[in-house]
Formats: sequence, structure tokens, C-alpha cells
Amino acid sequence: MNPFFKHSIVILCAAASLLAGASALAADGQLKLPNFDLLADKASESVSITLDPALLGLATRFLDPAKPEDAAAKEAIQGIKGIYVRSFKFEEDFAYPKADVEMVRKQLSAPGWQQLMQVRSSKEQQRVDIYILVEQERANGLAIIASQPREFTIVNIVGSVDMRKLHELEGQFGIPKLDLEEKKQ
Amino acid sequence: MKASEAWSPDELLTRASAGEPAAFASLVRRYQRTVFSIALRMLGDRHRAEDLAQEVFLQLYRSLEGIGSDAHLAFWLRKVAVNRAIDRIRQETRYENEPLTEAASVVEETGDADPLLQRRMAELVSQLPPAARAVVVLRYQEDLDPVDIASTLDMPINTVKSHLKRSLTSLRARVLGTAIVDDIQPSMSEPSR
Amino acid sequence: MNKDFEQQLRDALRPVDPEEGFEQRVMARVASEPMRSRAKLTRWAAGLALAASMAGVAILGAHQWQERREQEGLEARRQLLEALRVTGEKLDVAYQAVNRPSPPPDDESGA
Repeated sequence: MNPFFKHSIVILCAAASLLAGASALAADGQLKLPNFDLLADKASESVSITLDPALLGLATRFLDPAKPEDAAAKEAIQGIKGIYVRSFKFEEDFAYPKADVEMVRKQLSAPGWQQLMQVRSSKEQQRVDIYILVEQERANGLAIIASQPREFTIVNIVGSVDMRKLHELEGQFGIPKLDLEEKKQ
Repeated sequence: MKASEAWSPDELLTRASAGEPAAFASLVRRYQRTVFSIALRMLGDRHRAEDLAQEVFLQLYRSLEGIGSDAHLAFWLRKVAVNRAIDRIRQETRYENEPLTEAASVVEETGDADPLLQRRMAELVSQLPPAARAVVVLRYQEDLDPVDIASTLDMPINTVKSHLKRSLTSLRARVLGTAIVDDIQPSMSEPSR
Repeated sequence: MNKDFEQQLRDALRPVDPEEGFEQRVMARVASEPMRSRAKLTRWAAGLALAASMAGVAILGAHQWQERREQEGLEARRQLLEALRVTGEKLDVAYQAVNRPSPPPDDESGA
């Protein structure tokens, strides 16, 4: 990957973090997700999570500050108003309706949404797109769309997203420890 | 008399938050008319209104700990009911050409008032755009003043007043079948409850 | 005249009651609501035994009520951690791409 792009990612992450204001605006960053209920029956693995503000508040009350994982989670979700995840894995290639994934991607061309990062791997036929919603100079949403022949994942986070705090979940939740500063050339 | 009927409104809330089902049931009884009516006037259909009203109380059940007083509860219920209804309407985007709705036919007899006129007015309210409809319902059904309406809908107060003025003018013209020639100035003072 | 019209509007919009039994239907839904709104976690199916939906009046003992609220809270926490795990997994793909060593530039000097 071009070193310049690496630098760009660092700058963009920093910019996105700076944009995350203290007070989140209304949850306009919520995407309209297709109904994947029938798809879950075909999938070998599926994750379908809908945490609206009420459920998120409830979850937060049950986070144990004594546990590092819980403490990190609590820090990462400050300002977030909703988290929506749809993730499916299949036994066969393209068993999922690509049109549904494209329908979600299309919503990200609406005003305010900006593409933060685009990763393509021709070898694995993998595609990951990361978008943030910028409103009145604040980041009010995050969307990740990741697809491969046998799986796809849509993540939509609504509210004041702090990419730096998400990045600081290093070591937790499968995010590897990474010191981007050392990688600068 | 049920024990729950002897509790004050704030005590009901405290007990419901602490996990007493009888207290929560009392809260539902206390506010079901308000929540259902808002849903009905906004959605124009009894079944959808009941469904939405049930969802509002389910959300209340999840959110009890965040509500500090009976006054806050009333505000919260109106806010959630009307905003959920607006979201529902916008998703469906059918409001512009709604035919005669059930909401229009549900009019409580009020003595000397003309039931046909009331029915017509309720029908016309149900045909207003969502935001204007919400303002009119909160003003004339819930008797909220414009400041409270603005707070409930997260709307600037001037926008509230503008909706009221335009809606009243439009409603009056359509009810009376006259061209819009006069401006109706809605009363902005405290309503008599 | 204006006040008359506004009063007519108030009369037309008088609150109305829902169908009889509304309270019972709400309580029945509340009793079954955790099962319906819980996210499907096929990998981490918690197998919580929550109270089933009951016909008619669903009044639970305070203890059961508290217990269910605690179960709902723990379930919501599990969902949150899972959501963050999935988010992190996909961000990881992007971070790895950023930190993959760059291929050496082509040597076009002809030397």
C-alpha cells in the first residue's frame, strides 16, 4: 500500500476524531437496512444486532468497569446513539442478494456521507468500504460495508463517532495492536 | 380499590422502575388514552395506532430508569408517540392522498357540537403533512403551548407558530369551503385545561 | 370567531380510548418482548429462559420481573460486545491493508 495512503488514513482518522463533537445530533446517520430474516435461514452463520438508544443505554448499565473489555467498550460508545450490525456467512459463493448490499451502499452517496477508506483485494475478492457522515462539521455516523463471495457485513453506527476511540480498542474485540506512528516513513 | 390506585403518580413511577408490574400496569392505564389518541390522530387507523401505542409503552418499559418524574413521563410519552408516528408516516409517504380515515370517524360526541363537522375537521387534520399534523394534535388535543410543542418536536418555536398559523388557515378554508382570504391567528396563550 | 374555530378543533380532536384490553395486551407484549427483540446470535445463542407470552393478563411477580430485566441487560451487553467485535474485525481489514508493506517500485532506469 502506498505510504502516502497510509499517511492519508492517519490524517483522515484524526480528522474524523476531531470532527466528533461532544454533543451528538439527531440520529440521521441511520441507514435503512433490508430485511434479512429469510437470509438468516440460508446462512451458516449470522449476526443481526439492533441496538437503538434505549437498548444501548440498557447495555451500558450492565458493562462492568472492572473488566477491561467492558471499560473499553464504554469509552468507545460515548456519544453513540445506535449500533446496527448485519453479518452473514454462507457455504456457497454469492448466496446473498448483492442488490441488497448495493442498495445500502447507494444510500452512502447521499449528502453528508464521505468515503473514508476503500480496500480492495482482488486475490480474496474482498471489498471493504468505510464511510462517515459529516453534518455541521461533526461526524454523526459511521458505515462499514464489507463483502466477499461467501460473506457480507454491514455495520452502521449512529451518533458522534470517535474513530480514535474505536482505534484505541487495540487488543480488544479482535483489533490488532497497531502503532501507526512507527509505520510513517 | 386496587393498591396501585392509592399511589401518587411519582410513586407509581418509582415502583415501576423498581420492577413492580402492578405499578407499570397502572402507568399504562393512566396514559393509554393520551398515547393512543396521538397515534390515532397521526396515523389515521386504529390498528396501526394501537400497534404504535403498544410500542411506545414497550419503549417506556425499557427506559423507565431514565425518567425522573411524572411530569417528565408525560413529556416523554408524548414525544416518543408523536415522533414515532412521524417516522412511520414518512416511511409510508402516503399522507398526501389519504382517503377518509378511521380517525375522522372517531369523534367523541361533545354535546351541542356538530358531529359531522367534527368528523370533517378530524379528517382534514389527518391529511396535514406530518410535522404540521403533529403540531396541531399537540396543540388542540394535548393542549400544549407552543414552547412545549417546540420542545417535544425538537422544532424551533417560530416553525411551530408558522405550522399552527398555516394549518389553521388551511383547515378553516377547507371546512368552510371558502377560498383562503383571511389569516387565522392561532391563540398562543396558555390553554384552558 | 377564531376562538370558536379553535374550540371546534379541540372538540374534534378529543382523546379517545383504545379498544378494551389494551393494558393487558401491552403487559402480554412486555412479558414476551425480550424474546422478540433480542438479536439472533447463532454463534453465541445464550439460550436464556425468559417468561413465555401469556394470554390475558400477564402480571409477574416482582422477583421474576427484576430477574428478567437483569437478563435483558446482560443480553444487551452481549450484543454490544459482539457488535464492537464485528466492527473491529472489519476495521482490522482496513488497518492491515494500510500497514501492508508497499511493493518495491519498478526500476525503469534500464541499468
